[in-house]
Parts: sequence; C-alpha cells; structure tokens
Amino acid sequence: MNTSLIHIIKKWIPEKSKVIDFGCGDGSLLKDLIDEKKIRGYGVEIDHNKIQECILKGISVIEKDIDEGIQDFESCNFDVAVMASSIQCLKEPHLALRKMLKLSKQCIVTLPNLGFWKCRLDLAQGRMPVTPNLPSSWYETKNLHLCTIKDFETLCFEEGFVINEKFFLNDKGAKSAMASTFPNTFASEGIYLIAKK
Amino acid sequence: MKTKTELIKFNQGLDLESGARLNTFDLMVETYGELNKDKDNAILVCHAFSGNHHAAGKSSDNEALGWWDEVIGPGKAIDTDKFFVVCSNNLGGCSGSSGPLSINPETNELYGKDFPLVSVTDWVNSQKLLSDYLGISKWHMVAGGSLGGMQALQWAISYPKKLKKAGIFATATKSSTQNIAMNEVGREAIRKDKNFMEGDYLNHNVKPKSGLKTARMLGHITYSSEDIMDQKFGRKFQDIKSKIEGTVDYEVENYLQYKGEKFSDTFDANSYILMTKAMDGYDASFSSNGSLEEVMKRIKAKLLVVGFDSDWLYPPKRSKEIQLAAMNVDVQCSCVILKGEQGHDSFLFASDRYVKIIKGFLDSK
Repeated sequence: MNTSLIHIIKKWIPEKSKVIDFGCGDGSLLKDLIDEKKIRGYGVEIDHNKIQECILKGISVIEKDIDEGIQDFESCNFDVAVMASSIQCLKEPHLALRKMLKLSKQCIVTLPNLGFWKCRLDLAQGRMPVTPNLPSSWYETKNLHLCTIKDFETLCFEEGFVINEKFFLNDKGAKSAMASTFPNTFASEGIYLIAKK
Repeated sequence: MKTKTELIKFNQGLDLESGARLNTFDLMVETYGELNKDKDNAILVCHAFSGNHHAAGKSSDNEALGWWDEVIGPGKAIDTDKFFVVCSNNLGGCSGSSGPLSINPETNELYGKDFPLVSVTDWVNSQKLLSDYLGISKWHMVAGGSLGGMQALQWAISYPKKLKKAGIFATATKSSTQNIAMNEVGREAIRKDKNFMEGDYLNHNVKPKSGLKTARMLGHITYSSEDIMDQKFGRKFQDIKSKIEGTVDYEVENYLQYKGEKFSDTFDANSYILMTKAMDGYDASFSSNGSLEEVMKRIKAKLLVVGFDSDWLYPPKRSKEIQLAAMNVDVQCSCVILKGEQGHDSFLFASDRYVKIIKGFLDSK
C-alpha cells in the first residue's frame, strides 16, 4: 500500500476506535494504528504467510475468505471497517459493502479506477489496461469487478450509502489537482469513507 | 533437555466447584528447561482427557515419549531452550496426582469411587496453587488442546492477570450435546462391566478392563475422522500373524483392539468417569448465565485459537465461536483453522504451519 494512501486511511480513523481490516495483509496498517491511535484492531486474511507475519507482529488476525466471512462479524460493532484494494476482487462487491456497513458504522474503501486515462488509452489501443495499480495481465489478475470512480459513486447512491470523505491519487500515488478535479479521468486510485444514511 | 518429575504436596486445601473440599492434595508435576531469573519464561501446558504430567521427552528407555513431545523440546515449537515448561497431572487423574488411586488422608483408605467430582475450573485453581508454589507470578503462556484447551481458556478467564498469552487448541467453550453423548456411551461400557462393582473394583482386586477397552475404542474413533481412517487402514485385512483378537477381520479393528487393550492396562476406570464428567460439565459461560461475552470480558491475555479441519469432535466452528466472542468484547485473539492430518488428535502433531504459528505467537510482543 503506498504511503499517501496509508496516511489518508490513518487520518480518517478516530483514536481508540474499533477497527476491522479486511484483507489486512501483513498487519502493518493495524500495527501502526494500534501504536499511533490506540485502536482495538482485528485483521482478516487468507494468505498463510501474511497471517504468520500478523501473528509475529502481535496483531489479532482471523483466517478467513472475505467472500464468505464478512457477515460472521455482524455482532461485533466496529467503528471502522477497512477494505483496501480488495473490493474489486470479491464475488459480489455491492453485497460485501452492505455487509460491512452492517458490522461497522463507517467503511473505508480504496479502489483502482478503470476510468483513469491511461487505462482508457490502453483500451483505445485494443489492449486490457496494465498500470501501476492494475499491474497484472488479464489472465493473472485477481480483479473480478473493476469499475470507474463514477461507477462506484453511482453504486453508493443506489445503495443509499453516504460518502463522508473521498480522496484521489494519481498514478504516482500522489495528490494532484487534476486527480482531485477530474477524478474519473485523472485519478488512478479512489479512497472513500462511506456510511449508511 | 533438563527434566524434573516431582510429586508436590499441597496442605492449604482446595474447595471444589461441586462443594466438596480436599483438605490436602498432591500434584504430580514434570518440568522441562529452566526458569530464568525474572521468572517470566514459564509456560504451563494442560493435558487432555487421557494425558498426564509426562508431556515431553523420556527419562528412561522404557518410558514412552511425552504426549506433546512433537511440540515441546529443544528447538521445537515450544522451545525448552528458551522456556521453562510445566505440566501437571490433573486432579482426579491416575498418574500420581490425587485421584481415585490415591489414599484419602481422612480415612487412610483408597479414594476409589469416592474421589469427589472435579471440574476444569478446579484444575485451573489447583494449577494456580502450583504456580504460587513455583514462584511464577505470570505465565508467558498457558496452552493445551482439547480438554487441555478448555483449561487454557479457563485460566485466561479465572486469572486474567496471571498469564500473558493463552494457546487454545482443538477445543470449545463447552462440550456439545454430541460430545456428552459419546462420553456417556464410554461410561456405560465401563459401568456395565461386571468387574466395575459400582466403582468399588479396587477393593475387590479386579479391574473393569473390558469396559475401559470398549470406551477407549469408541474414543479413538472420535479422535480420528472418516477420511483419516480410510487413508490409514482402508478396507485392508489384518495379517493373521499380528491379530491381537481372533475375531478381527480388518486392520482398523485390530488397531482399535490394540489401542483399547493398551489403554485398559494403564488407565483407571473411576478416573475415566471423572475426566469425562469434567469435560461434559465444562461451560465457560456458566458463571454468567450462559453469556460467553460477559465472562470473556475479564480476559487480559492474548489468545491464539487453533482449530483443525478434520476434527469432528471439536470442529472448527467451535474455535470460531471462541474467536467471535473475543472480538465482541475487544479481547485480542487470532484464529486459524489448520489442515489436520489426524482429526481431533491433530493438535498433538507438529505440522509445519502449526509449529510456525505457535512460535510466532510465543515470540510476539
């Protein structure tokens, strides 16, 4: 995860809140949040090596496939659920978002933007896009449901989710005026803080 | 590995959950490795139903390897070069701690069937007295599998400040209806053995061996799984030369006969009944009217919950229940479900991931 993204996620997570990180990787984000913001954090991960790293870091990690397991935590009342760079890999992203907002007051979602101009250019040339945040070729990618910034915001509107915060990064992983003003074309990555109405 | 086996006498008495009291009691204890100067490298391991204080290594050629030898030892998952490992035989057991085979100091006669009912919480309380005796004010970890895992969980609940971590493996917060049902079949086999004499067999110089054997044979089926039995034995016929019972046809029958026979030589029938009753009776949420969350709020230790996919006695969903209750009340808890080659017994074996995870958990802050 790039540093601007981590910085923004950290900014949006209140001190001492209860956080669940779906697809928590090696647990670095949770570790930082525990150290810096005194959160009570849990990670969900499926990769064996990453789970091992979480345990070694002292992070509470649950081995689970996000596609199957989100609703299991419904009773746990989280303040923030994080789904960084994974939503497009799920079988049913819209249902996953609904489930996440059932177990948590707010939800941070990050997603690659398929409307980014370089992706459009690749498509215009007749090829599937390959960019820094969509690095895999079409036959290797785990992404099942890529969307554009516009698509995602339309989904939020249709599902009745409120977008409390949003932030856009260019393909250098940095903030830029172009990305902020015309995100659907110039943002490579979108970061959202959403809640139920 | 520095190993010490010792019978420790406790004169302060112990009030049991049943309301009975032991005015004095003994614990047979084995330790491995050395306690450091700060006394903060101690790990308590709790044994399962038929285990005992002999958890690792062997002190003589004749002795069998300890029940968790795959996991405990120099360089192993629970590394005795780093940690001081303690294991005691549970009260009511038959390997040296006070139990049906010991003399009741009040009457100077064998306890036999009159040894009071003991519970998981009683065991934990007795182990707390043991930790005081050893001068250990905080365990680095308390761990166990199956009935031992229940003790590790109960430690975290009963003495939250007395342990840093708890390793809770292949277990549940309470026995399921099916668990109780299986145990009752085992007990029934023992009770109906003509040598059981309503538990008074010691005074008649007999042993309900056939009942114990049948109970253990059933037990072994539950510790294994359908797939594992298939892989291990299939439908292979038993070689005539190594038949231990004339009537057996298949290898699996011979295996169960062998295991049952061996067990009935060494285990005590009254202990069997006490241990299974303790297992059936355990319910972590009992003291809070069935609310597991309420009782788990007390926990300060970090938990590692491990289940095994082939375990049908305490299946993975039982592990997930512990994890979920912990998460509900902000207790730090990791939960992994491992591939188990050995059914319920998988927790005894040092599979690669299991070892790594235990090591990682022990090394974590």
